[in-house]
Amino acid sequence: MLLPEHTLLKPVSLDQCLIMLRDLTAGGGERLEKAQLIAGGTDVIFNMRLKFFQPEHLVSVRRVPELQRIEELDDGGLRIGAACRLVDLADDPRIQSRFPAFKQALDAVASAQVRNMGTLGGNVCLETRCWFTNNSEEWRQGRQGCFKTDCEHCHVIPSSTHCHAINNADTPPALMALDAMLTVQSARGSREVPIAEFYRPDGMDHMDLQPDELLTHITVPATRDRNLFMKYTPRKGMDFSLGAIAVRCGGQGERAENIRIVLGSISSAPIVLVEPARVIEADGLGDASIEQAIEQMRDELGEVTNLYGRATYKKQIAKTLVRRALVKIRERV
Amino acid sequence: MVVKRADIDLSVIGQRRPRLDGPEKVSGRAQFTADINLPGMLVGKILRSRHKHARITKLDTSKAEALPGVRAVITAPDAKGIWATQNEPAICGEVTRYIGEELAAVAAIDEATAVRALELIDVEYEILPSVTTIREALKPDAPQVDPGAPGNIVSDNTDTYGDVEDAFAKADLVFEDKFVSRPTHNLFAEFHACVADFTRPDKLEIWTPTQSSYLFQHSFARAFKLSVNQVRIVHLHTGGAFSGRGSVRPHHYIAALLSRKARRPVKVAASGDEEFLVCRTLGDNQYVLRTAVDRDGRVRAIDVNATLDGGGQGHALGYFGWMVGLCMTWIMDLDAIRFRRQVVLTNQRPNYLGHGGMMIGTNAGLMQQLLRIAKYLGRDPIDMLLQNAIEEGHHGMSGEHFASCGLKECIETVRDASGWNDKYGKLTPTPDGKLRGIGVGIGSMAAGARGAFKHDTSAAMVKVGEDGLVTVFTGIPDMGQGTHTTMAIIAAEVLGIKATDIHVVAGDTDITPVDVGAFAQRGTIMTGNAVKNAAQDARDQLATNAAAALEVDVEQLVFRNGEIFVKDNPEQRLPFSKVSFGSLHSKEGRFVMGRGFYTTPVDYGTAAWSFGAQVAEVEVDPETGDVDLVKVWVAHDCGRAINPLAVEGQIDGQVFSAMSQVLFEECVTDDGQYLNPSRLEYKMPRAYEMPEVEYFLIETNDPYGPFGAKEVGEGPIVVAGGAIAAAVSDALGGFLPEIPMTSYKVWRECTRLSKSPDRSGPEAQSEL
Repeated sequence: MLLPEHTLLKPVSLDQCLIMLRDLTAGGGERLEKAQLIAGGTDVIFNMRLKFFQPEHLVSVRRVPELQRIEELDDGGLRIGAACRLVDLADDPRIQSRFPAFKQALDAVASAQVRNMGTLGGNVCLETRCWFTNNSEEWRQGRQGCFKTDCEHCHVIPSSTHCHAINNADTPPALMALDAMLTVQSARGSREVPIAEFYRPDGMDHMDLQPDELLTHITVPATRDRNLFMKYTPRKGMDFSLGAIAVRCGGQGERAENIRIVLGSISSAPIVLVEPARVIEADGLGDASIEQAIEQMRDELGEVTNLYGRATYKKQIAKTLVRRALVKIRERV
Repeated sequence: MVVKRADIDLSVIGQRRPRLDGPEKVSGRAQFTADINLPGMLVGKILRSRHKHARITKLDTSKAEALPGVRAVITAPDAKGIWATQNEPAICGEVTRYIGEELAAVAAIDEATAVRALELIDVEYEILPSVTTIREALKPDAPQVDPGAPGNIVSDNTDTYGDVEDAFAKADLVFEDKFVSRPTHNLFAEFHACVADFTRPDKLEIWTPTQSSYLFQHSFARAFKLSVNQVRIVHLHTGGAFSGRGSVRPHHYIAALLSRKARRPVKVAASGDEEFLVCRTLGDNQYVLRTAVDRDGRVRAIDVNATLDGGGQGHALGYFGWMVGLCMTWIMDLDAIRFRRQVVLTNQRPNYLGHGGMMIGTNAGLMQQLLRIAKYLGRDPIDMLLQNAIEEGHHGMSGEHFASCGLKECIETVRDASGWNDKYGKLTPTPDGKLRGIGVGIGSMAAGARGAFKHDTSAAMVKVGEDGLVTVFTGIPDMGQGTHTTMAIIAAEVLGIKATDIHVVAGDTDITPVDVGAFAQRGTIMTGNAVKNAAQDARDQLATNAAAALEVDVEQLVFRNGEIFVKDNPEQRLPFSKVSFGSLHSKEGRFVMGRGFYTTPVDYGTAAWSFGAQVAEVEVDPETGDVDLVKVWVAHDCGRAINPLAVEGQIDGQVFSAMSQVLFEECVTDDGQYLNPSRLEYKMPRAYEMPEVEYFLIETNDPYGPFGAKEVGEGPIVVAGGAIAAAVSDALGGFLPEIPMTSYKVWRECTRLSKSPDRSGPEAQSEL
């Protein structure tokens, strides 16, 4: 499959990059038709070959120095440039020691080859996926169009008014559990968005990001809480998950304070489980309380679909992940 | 571990030897079809149907033809009279029956131009009603896929041996289970590709991965009305075949047609998801398995009723099904067997055979059923298999004579090695709650293709260089099974030289002699015997000259370690290279070339069968349904291990592929379209999932095999499929009615069986 024709722009500073984005997207319209950002290219090139992205211009952030740095904050938190490579972050001893969930999620991304190229910003902004469209353009001609191909239809839930493609990225649930903050910049200025507010449950419009905006930094605040990440994949090794979970929890042993449980790969946005967290905070991490929390999560999963697996099975995977993650975090000091 | 019955004096055979083509493969120097670049070569691209059942009402190629850089555009009229299979046109003209069917093709100066040209072809379809499942296709008022196949049944064949009705009537008990195997893809490392040069009217040259240059030569000659040897087929290294590269497919003919029209060589290569449309492999296969058994454990008869999804074509499927049924008769001493196979047409990709033929499906069902029967009768399954297993000298129901058979030895070997007696029925869950299970599978495989083909000939030539280096010429392709290394070893053994002093030239029909090809596990026994005969012919010629020089009779000579010496006086010797040099430079001027051929000496079927038994141990996570295949013990009667390292490699590959087909691989379909046509979404496992394997190579020294060798090309995969399925069944305590037993299905069955344990007995049908 050949790449659609495009030009490649290589800004050398953040300012230059933001001005390019402003100029290229002036006059409105979808960014994907005008200018697409590219860092490692592991997701963008794939989507371009499938002709989901057919931008006139690719804007590479690989030469933007501001996006390549990791800044240490006074309290032990880290402010990470969006173009830092996944492999470098996974190898960073500060991330390994301070944020186990983040480290585990970084290690879980695809394969070593993909992590050598892919960036954190790219993983946070990963395109949603759906097997009713996620093939070549010729293949897609074999079925009715859908929201992904400019048609008002969803193959996953035919009655739906929006796209149900899945957010299959590994780092977002971990970063959400760790209360990460995203810095989004444009020529118009800069804004901070808690990552928990960044995603939307719509496969076509799954991020709070304007066409002229660029995710520049991911800030992970210091925490003393226990935290972990797990994912369930049909195969060991490189695979997208059928379900992923990140948990952060204060307190020790069965005592749980300030717990956050986030499920990934279930819908178009990661899901923060509210009622189960309340149950655990109230009753602790005992076996009975965990089962009680699992009972409570049912209503919060939203519409679990048959995308990439049977809905009943994906609910079972979600329950199993919650059970195993909570039991495991109970054993953490 | 090699288990020998009787040792014969061998110097090269039996050593653990890395494959001769290993270095060029791992260094990337090995050439595959996609590496071929001929001067002036064009890129061919195929326009494929986007509808599963539709009448083509318009196909206008004028814009594509006008595009600069396009050299040829072809449609159905260009391919008139060319049939890919019995009823399948090389290019579809009127009614397309499945998504992906070939409608037109272009040849252009580069890929971008070819792709652009395809976009400029204007096609209009009239959508027709369609059927995408066997169930829909068999409904009385179902839309017809092929007007020539009323009721969508394209063939319905039954093979019967013995008196089935009588055997079932006399048996104490009858067990019946329904079993399904879902569609798969062969997933070769090398995608489908073909380079054709048809610029001269009297010579067609083809480079393509194939299991048989011989059959390809004949098919092309027939299609283009050429004499057989006006067609030259070249196969280079081939990245896997698994029953999937046995016949000429539309893309091969299209490459030739484009080349003829454009008067330039053309390369056609499948892209990612196109690969899943082009492949002809296993479809949705449904079986009803009935087994008649006596209370003492004697299995009297097996009756299989199979309904096979042929997809949009499927004419070849019913024919080759006979072997699947026969395969079941080669393991147990039965009174009767019946194998019925009804091939149903649907608007799906045409289906054929996959890795392991179709026998993984039948054996995964049968071994589970035998486990169920043993449990019902209170018998140990291995004891019951030993009670029924055939022995050396047995005469089979279709006239076979098993001149060598180590089946019982295989069963006993894996029973003892796996600690079966301490494990079966005694395994308890692991500390983290995983269910454990152990299963046994047995099987047999014919080595040779007589019956499938009119003749089963392999021929070979051996050229002895004046420097003592030897070239073996053979038509057999090496698709990864390592057969060229095997041929070198056989020739080296006969000539008493090192295998590394032998160069194998293979698969160019202008050069190499006839060989039916790499089918039906015929490589080692058929081509191996041909190479052995050719090497013997060369040896005889050398021996005449050596005997004269050493002044002894030829019978006294021994060829060993690069030397020719006198048996009773080893000090009386000549180097091999000196004898070959001397032959050429003698007054006679003899350049030594050996000729050999081989065909099976029996009238029907083949002369040798491999046998095998395996025990598999699994752990099942009842919460996720994940099956962890912990270890497999493999005993395989291969006759003789020409190269034990290669035999173990074949076993590794087949245990892996059996695990993959029984637990993972499935083409997920939605309304006639594959949803997972990629290596990402088609969940074939990787090295992480590979279990520990312990090997026992049982050498029964077959009288027909070269140095006693039979086969290891497909026997182990069938056995492994049965053993793994039985182990999962044992862990769960019930019959699993479908492969692949993906995590979802295993979890579903775990949940079902934990609520209502399976205590079903005879005639109780398992639910689908």
